[in-house]
Amino acid sequence: MAVAGAKRRQVRGLGSERTREGLVGYGFVALPMAFFLLFFIFPIGYAFYISRYNWQIFKGPFVGWGNYRTLYHDGVFWSHAVRNTLVYTAFVVPLQMALGLTLAVVVNQSIRFRTFFRAAFYFPSLAASAAIAAIATYILASDGLFNTILHHLGYHHSNAWFAQQSTALPSIIGLNAWTTSGTMMLFYLAALQAIPVDVYEAAAIDGAGAWRTFRKITFPLLKPGHFFVAVVSVIGAVQMFDQSFLIGGASGGPNYSTLTTVLYLYNQAIGNIKFGYAAAVGVVLFAFIFTVTLIQRPLFGKAEGA
Amino acid sequence: MAAEGLPPAVAVEELAKSEPAGGTGSTGIPGRERGDRIRTAIAYAVMFLVAALFAIPFLWSVSTSFRTLADTVAGFSLLPRHWTTSGYHEAFHTFNFGQYTLNSAIIAGAITLSNLFLASLGGYAFARLKFPGREVLFMLVLGTLMIPDQLRLVPIYLMLVNWIPGWVGHLGWHNASFVNRNGVILIQLVSATSLFLMRQYFLTIPRDLEEAAKLDAAGYFKTYRKVMLPLAGPALAAVGILTFQGTWNALFWPAVLLQDKSQYTIPIGIANFVGAYQTLWPPLMAASVLAILPILLIFVLFQRYFVAGVAAAGVKG
Repeated sequence: MAVAGAKRRQVRGLGSERTREGLVGYGFVALPMAFFLLFFIFPIGYAFYISRYNWQIFKGPFVGWGNYRTLYHDGVFWSHAVRNTLVYTAFVVPLQMALGLTLAVVVNQSIRFRTFFRAAFYFPSLAASAAIAAIATYILASDGLFNTILHHLGYHHSNAWFAQQSTALPSIIGLNAWTTSGTMMLFYLAALQAIPVDVYEAAAIDGAGAWRTFRKITFPLLKPGHFFVAVVSVIGAVQMFDQSFLIGGASGGPNYSTLTTVLYLYNQAIGNIKFGYAAAVGVVLFAFIFTVTLIQRPLFGKAEGA
Repeated sequence: MAAEGLPPAVAVEELAKSEPAGGTGSTGIPGRERGDRIRTAIAYAVMFLVAALFAIPFLWSVSTSFRTLADTVAGFSLLPRHWTTSGYHEAFHTFNFGQYTLNSAIIAGAITLSNLFLASLGGYAFARLKFPGREVLFMLVLGTLMIPDQLRLVPIYLMLVNWIPGWVGHLGWHNASFVNRNGVILIQLVSATSLFLMRQYFLTIPRDLEEAAKLDAAGYFKTYRKVMLPLAGPALAAVGILTFQGTWNALFWPAVLLQDKSQYTIPIGIANFVGAYQTLWPPLMAASVLAILPILLIFVLFQRYFVAGVAAAGVKG
């Protein structure tokens, strides 16, 4: 291509045209690249640098690994923030995957209004988390719609679900499994549609029933899909912030029951102005997420071609 | 990391067409029709049930947004006993959601425009212009998707407080502050997702048209503006819609950087409201409707562009 272009422009010669194209290329990507370097790449190193100082409003003395040692002994971080985040992840990921797969299989049937149903199931993923959390707070209030329905079914529950220590986190798990199931559905749909049709034709000739076909063929063939959805889901779950911030307030209440690691970091930085310490939390979380991604790979097998 | 984990773009494209995948169509084998019919009936029942479950929270919030406060505590009724728009009136005027809506529109609008420009310009260069180190730079861009926001919080906050005001001061903009709306916009001027979508689209455009432009001795910027941009409509639409949706809904960076109430976005306004006056349900539901409605409209009108976002999300992870 470049050669063909250059031939037409023999006057200028090959070299100068290439140089010009290269310079223009750098010029066009200069602004985005400067942006990514300044606000994405550089902050990785800068976060680590900050984390080695007792940095509050102003940069204080160098403390080496001091902030990390403090973090290691931080009771609130481990027994609330980390614990809640792990519990949340352990429950929400399987729920999201199961719901996403179920919805995907259902809307993958050749029936009418399929497009409408896909859209309807996907929409909660697109709506503002703040609005959804507000609606959930309303529905799960002490005299809310959910308790009213339970009452008519014979269960009497008079507390607000988000206000009670024992039910706050499970309620958030349920809420987020619902809102993100649409996204997981679309991922699974893509994976389902990558399965060749002749595999199913062979199964049908063998007289395999629907459930057996799903269990023996669809589910195993979805392995790359499972891996992909699991990674996306776990990475999202360990970074949960919005719902805790909206429902539990900045403190992750009631009594730390909805405090997550990211909300804890936010509080240390924005609430307590402990920048050095918050940066250390950020570095540890980043290392953790990175490790999770690496570990998940062999567990689910390599996702070749999904 | 993710490039191989990505559902192939082709498969995702198929979603938009809503052709059923294998295993569900009729197999042409006699005696299977009855089983198929039962399965179809079950699928219908499940879908309507689930769709109803998905819709109820939204419909219930709309219903409450038109109630009086007394109506919300007067026991269950499907529809408001007395229809009123006072919830919206209070949300707009008493609780400043009119201002917050404007703020959300300004922030989301500015970030969207900037993404459209920078991502299309950069995407064109990454797709079409040859320069040393192009592939490495592009991998670097995709790599930024793996850097979580929480790691960036402290460094970016300190940069916005300590460095950026000094830098723009040299450019003649004195006493600028970035722990506000300006900062929220500045740190989201372009995203790797936008750039990726634009590049992928430009790669699919045939080269003949550019060759013609080259013969006319049009410069590269002119080729970008006059030839490539007009052809990139679908990609620009996808980038614009996804960026707007993401920034309209966003909570994290506004929660970090917006401290002055006059600059709150709708999500921050809602967070603040929930903490302060939780049980004033009609205005809170009105604010929620306000947050959801524009996105619902965009989704209904431009549904297929959201699929591109799912494909791009595959780059993450």
